[in-house]
Amino acid sequence: MTAPAAPVTRPVPASAPPASQPPSRRRRKPSLHGTLSRVIIALIVIVQVYPLAWLFITSLRTELDFATGDPFALPKAITFENYARAFETGNLGMNILNSFIVTMGANLLIVLLGMMAAYALQVLGFRGSRIVRSIFLIGIIVPVQIALVPLFIDYASINLLDTYPSMIIPLAGFALPMSIYLFSSFFEYIPRETYEAASLDGAGPYRIFGLITLPLSVNTVVTVVLVNSIFIWNDFIFANTFVLSEELKTIPLGLQNYIGAMGKTDWTATFAAVCVTITPLLLVFLVLNKAMIQGLESGASKG
Amino acid sequence: MLPNRSRLSVLVFLLPPLLLYGIAVLFPILQSLFLSFFSWNGISDMEFVGLANYVRMLTADDIFWRSFFNALGYLAICLVLQLGGALLVASLLTSMRRGRELIKTLYLLPAVISTVAIAFLFVRIYSIEPVGLLNQLLHWIGLGALERPWLSDINTVLAAVSAPEGWRFTGLYMLIIYAALLSVPQELEEAARLDGASRWQLFTKIRFPHIMPVWITTTIMATTYGLRGFDIPYLMTNGGPGQSSELLTTYMYKTAFTSTDFGYASTIAVFIVIECLVAVGLILFVLKRKADA
Repeated sequence: MTAPAAPVTRPVPASAPPASQPPSRRRRKPSLHGTLSRVIIALIVIVQVYPLAWLFITSLRTELDFATGDPFALPKAITFENYARAFETGNLGMNILNSFIVTMGANLLIVLLGMMAAYALQVLGFRGSRIVRSIFLIGIIVPVQIALVPLFIDYASINLLDTYPSMIIPLAGFALPMSIYLFSSFFEYIPRETYEAASLDGAGPYRIFGLITLPLSVNTVVTVVLVNSIFIWNDFIFANTFVLSEELKTIPLGLQNYIGAMGKTDWTATFAAVCVTITPLLLVFLVLNKAMIQGLESGASKG
Repeated sequence: MLPNRSRLSVLVFLLPPLLLYGIAVLFPILQSLFLSFFSWNGISDMEFVGLANYVRMLTADDIFWRSFFNALGYLAICLVLQLGGALLVASLLTSMRRGRELIKTLYLLPAVISTVAIAFLFVRIYSIEPVGLLNQLLHWIGLGALERPWLSDINTVLAAVSAPEGWRFTGLYMLIIYAALLSVPQELEEAARLDGASRWQLFTKIRFPHIMPVWITTTIMATTYGLRGFDIPYLMTNGGPGQSSELLTTYMYKTAFTSTDFGYASTIAVFIVIECLVAVGLILFVLKRKADA
């Protein structure tokens, strides 16, 4: 399911070259430190992963088993009825479609506009670009809650409440600075000579953007899209504030329908619904986890 | 700078992103600042009240101060779990030879799950009837006396809503710190080891100073994310019972969209922004000085 351990390309601190270590301890019996760190890592990984496994196992339990049984035990019988009820109760299909539309729309803006701004700032260059950069930096620090009341009022006055754009605009706007930042640091690596040669051939800034910068940036685009998709797919606060009608509800809002509507919550069906909704992103993550991990690493470590 | 560029081309590339950013981020910040001087419920006329909202917030609003201190507690728990856990696992991981990629992936898994799903999950983990994972575990290891409904006990509810947030993102910070640890020069560590440095010395004298710039970045990220934490407390307890898990963000949200007191909610929002800026300034001040020392 997950990628096997990759061949280590970077130096590995603790597996030092044998010459510098007394080889006897290291080779023959595992050191206390090594065993201990393995145990600690195993414990922490269990804490990270077991709740998710439990979520899945519970979604296969019968209701009676869930209400009375030991939560750690395996289900007495496996049932898929929870999934059937999950689909009956909510509009899971529609929720997933809406999340997909919002994620695509926001990602399109984030990538395109982020690339354009980075191109203007990094490649074209202009007086005052430092000021523009620091203005964009504000968006990384400022919490999203500041925009809720103003956007709610503005949307209400131009009838934009309860639409896809009402979610896409702030999601893209607040993600834009990080995207500009990632594209800028990638554009730095494109050698100046490439641009100068193209300029000598008579290419203007638009052609250079379309023919050189854009095609070279594919990897960065993948990084930006993957990292942002996690946050946009799971966005709760903007959707919860700006969307009211059932037909536009994204996954996080759709899931809320399962709680307490009839007084008593059908937990096993809720868990089944949760499993259905986390599957798309989880699959993408497990397939592309290397690219995603690299993106997350570079996203912050250079900031 | 590109030789053949024109002023127009700069504008063509820069204006669309600035426009979106202006609409979504810059203009709302100014608007919040503006609204914070008014009293307005969204329907009647806006009434200019000067600094009255700020005075009310700082001197007469007990819930505000309660939420403020709760938010600090929430932040502290998140920071310990996220940064402490991340540093521990990242350091241990560098000494492992196999399975690193697998562990990175597994550790990051919770970051992919939506906050609503996490809130549901933890409501059941903390549950007492039917017995949830946490209470069952305590029972097994002989700490049955600690069993309780974690979310309705006013002494534990704040910690109970903070832990999931810490749990969710610790993998993200671990990745960043791990990447930084790998970049510590081998020769430096070798030299220190030959001089007889212990593992602890190696960590405090060589590794940690080397990753200081990344540590500053991750601390800033974790702090600003912690101060804007909203989803999980809002979904799990909605600030309750009473105000025992109310954060500034949930209080602001309720003031705006339940009490429709837009002016006062904007005042709280402005305070949250200032709080974030002050926190970032403090981190830079303290850690930079330490790094330079």
